[in-house]
Amino acid sequence: MSSKLVSKLSALACGAAMAAVIPFAAHAEDKVISVWDLQTTEGAVKVIRDAADRFEAANPGYKVEDTHILNDAYKTKIKIAFGANEPPCVFSSWGGGPFREYVAADQVVDLTPYLEKDPAFKDRFAPASFGAVTVDGKIYGLPAENTAIAVVFYNKEMFEKLSLTPPKTWDELLHVIDVLKQNDIAPFALANKNKWTGSMYYGYLVDRIGGPEAFANAAQRKEGGSFADPVFVEAGKRLQELVNMGAFQKGYNGLDYDVGGSRRLLYTEKAAMELMGTWEASTIGNENPEFAKKLGFFPFPSVPGGKGDPSDLLGTLGDNFVSVTKACPEKDKAVELIKFLTDDTAAAGRVADSRLPPIKNLKVDNPFLQEVSKLVREAKSVQLWWDQELPPKLGELHKDTSQALFGLSKTPEQVAEEFEAAAKAELK
Amino acid sequence: MTDITTRPADGGAGGTALSLKTFAPAIFLAPAVLLLAVYLLYPLVDSFRLSMFDWNGLGSDARFVGLDNWKKLASDALFWEAAWNNILLAFFSVVVQMPIALVLAVVLDNAGKGSRILKILYFLPLLMSSVALGVLFKYFYDVTFGPLNALLDFVGLGYLAQDWLGDTRFALGAVIAVVCWQYIPFYMVLFMAGLASFPADISEAAKLDGASETTIFWKMKLPHLKGTIRTAIVLSVIGALRYFDLIYVMTGGGPEGASELMATYMYRNVFSSFQLGYGSTVASGMFIVVILIASVLMRFSKRYETEV
Repeated sequence: MSSKLVSKLSALACGAAMAAVIPFAAHAEDKVISVWDLQTTEGAVKVIRDAADRFEAANPGYKVEDTHILNDAYKTKIKIAFGANEPPCVFSSWGGGPFREYVAADQVVDLTPYLEKDPAFKDRFAPASFGAVTVDGKIYGLPAENTAIAVVFYNKEMFEKLSLTPPKTWDELLHVIDVLKQNDIAPFALANKNKWTGSMYYGYLVDRIGGPEAFANAAQRKEGGSFADPVFVEAGKRLQELVNMGAFQKGYNGLDYDVGGSRRLLYTEKAAMELMGTWEASTIGNENPEFAKKLGFFPFPSVPGGKGDPSDLLGTLGDNFVSVTKACPEKDKAVELIKFLTDDTAAAGRVADSRLPPIKNLKVDNPFLQEVSKLVREAKSVQLWWDQELPPKLGELHKDTSQALFGLSKTPEQVAEEFEAAAKAELK
Repeated sequence: MTDITTRPADGGAGGTALSLKTFAPAIFLAPAVLLLAVYLLYPLVDSFRLSMFDWNGLGSDARFVGLDNWKKLASDALFWEAAWNNILLAFFSVVVQMPIALVLAVVLDNAGKGSRILKILYFLPLLMSSVALGVLFKYFYDVTFGPLNALLDFVGLGYLAQDWLGDTRFALGAVIAVVCWQYIPFYMVLFMAGLASFPADISEAAKLDGASETTIFWKMKLPHLKGTIRTAIVLSVIGALRYFDLIYVMTGGGPEGASELMATYMYRNVFSSFQLGYGSTVASGMFIVVILIASVLMRFSKRYETEV
């Protein structure tokens, strides 16, 4: 009985809403294409709105409704929207495991045919950038916003004062850690409440020890790849070696990156280095322009006897991909819109906003971006962050187990076995 | 409801006034009943239904797995640890909040008009958003910069300084302390309302008979508050069992699940691991745990409904 009532009432409410909307819509007659993204800074929003304006000018009768939502709220909201079958026409993602869930649920438009029709447009992008949004050889998204790779940021002035140079090898790193500790400075600032922050150390160590194939094979269950491989155990041991020698400041597992827990340690010179994505540079530039002048960075050091090339990177080419949903009534137009969102004009706008979309031959004047761009060009492999690459359940487990490694509550062997068991169940 | 609808027929021709009378309660209740049905009953039943599925919450590939999720829940150590943490939170909420709230209420009640400023001050924590409080206390507990460790250092107790939120031994306790701090004012107000209804002439009479303030409190005022205290305990326990916000903001359930609660565990399952099916099982399991504990508690406090 109550359900009948509910449906009657909701019909009534809908009717009222429609009545309010119809005269307005009849007047405008515009078809609306909705866009959701998680860009909330002024510069980033401007680039998107500008592309939308250009799209509207080229397509009379269409209107773009862009909605910008904060990071964590976005993750929740987009998931609920898909679950309720009311997603926007265009949405942003990081590609990887969670994105593949949407693709597997048949919610995302395959862009391959569109790109085949316009090879000149497609070939502008760095080929590796499509990796995170490619499922079974089909491309489901366009890399839009930025290139973000994990590097070690450090305080140049402090290194000079202590006559330290950026370490290239594990032994050099240990030396740097020693000297910093003797001077009562925490070598690494780490805010590991968020877990992905610390998990990057593990990801890099696995790469440096076993090469990019170690993770790729284990995650894709091919060529005998396994998370119980000795590579993963050794990575855990090296990580705990760092923990045991006090390479991280006190309280790392409780600090929150989102409220600047680790950066404050850098600003106050209580810590010297931080392994972080390259977005950190612009964050620091905004928060503390004085300190930004002292900021330098170097790639993660190599490990003796390791198979990984020190040029390998952990990060993302694209850092937010735009895709079109199957629920969208105007799919062709929406695809056209995302091309506007990722065209050369939009890319130039992003560069002017200190970001680096993964587009070949991009004109970049900013010296920091030039350096990042050089690292990416020379990289033998760019591995997407594990927590994004893996299916969501394993991504969570990866974050949990790496926090346990940092907390010394689990041994590297335990973590490797636990992870392999879960991967076996999840990845078949 | 059928009862109500049949009655006007009995009233016959002269029944318009009567039917209005009988319909009135139904009409006035309808909005509340509807809201409850839509926002409480439906989700409740639906989450039990979803708990039988293996589903990521997207698309239409939900797979019926019967009781598999429930078997998994029964042997899921993480869930039971979370449930135990909820019970700890409930226990400490009652043990810490009730006495302090009661003392504050009695003191403020006796202080009369001069205590208005204090009343407002004490009430402030309850008016702050939990998220803001959580961020504030994250700074408070910060190992390097936090005032708590600095204070301990200053008074020469530096060896007691701890990594409050990052150490598995302290994280839960540190958050519980903040939860208690936030909710003490709520119970304080409840008790003050209770004390205000204590008839002044009785205590005057008792004084004339030579009873001291302490006797009046222990023998008269406290028994008078019995019902209120029971209500407070029930509210506090149920609140603790469903608790989410400060834990989510301050520790996210970490480090290593040390401060995980049933609600944060459910949230992680649904929104981070994309396991809507199992997440619903956790939610339903949580519902059962809360119902069980609450009903036991209600049984022990039968007078609760009549005395508030």
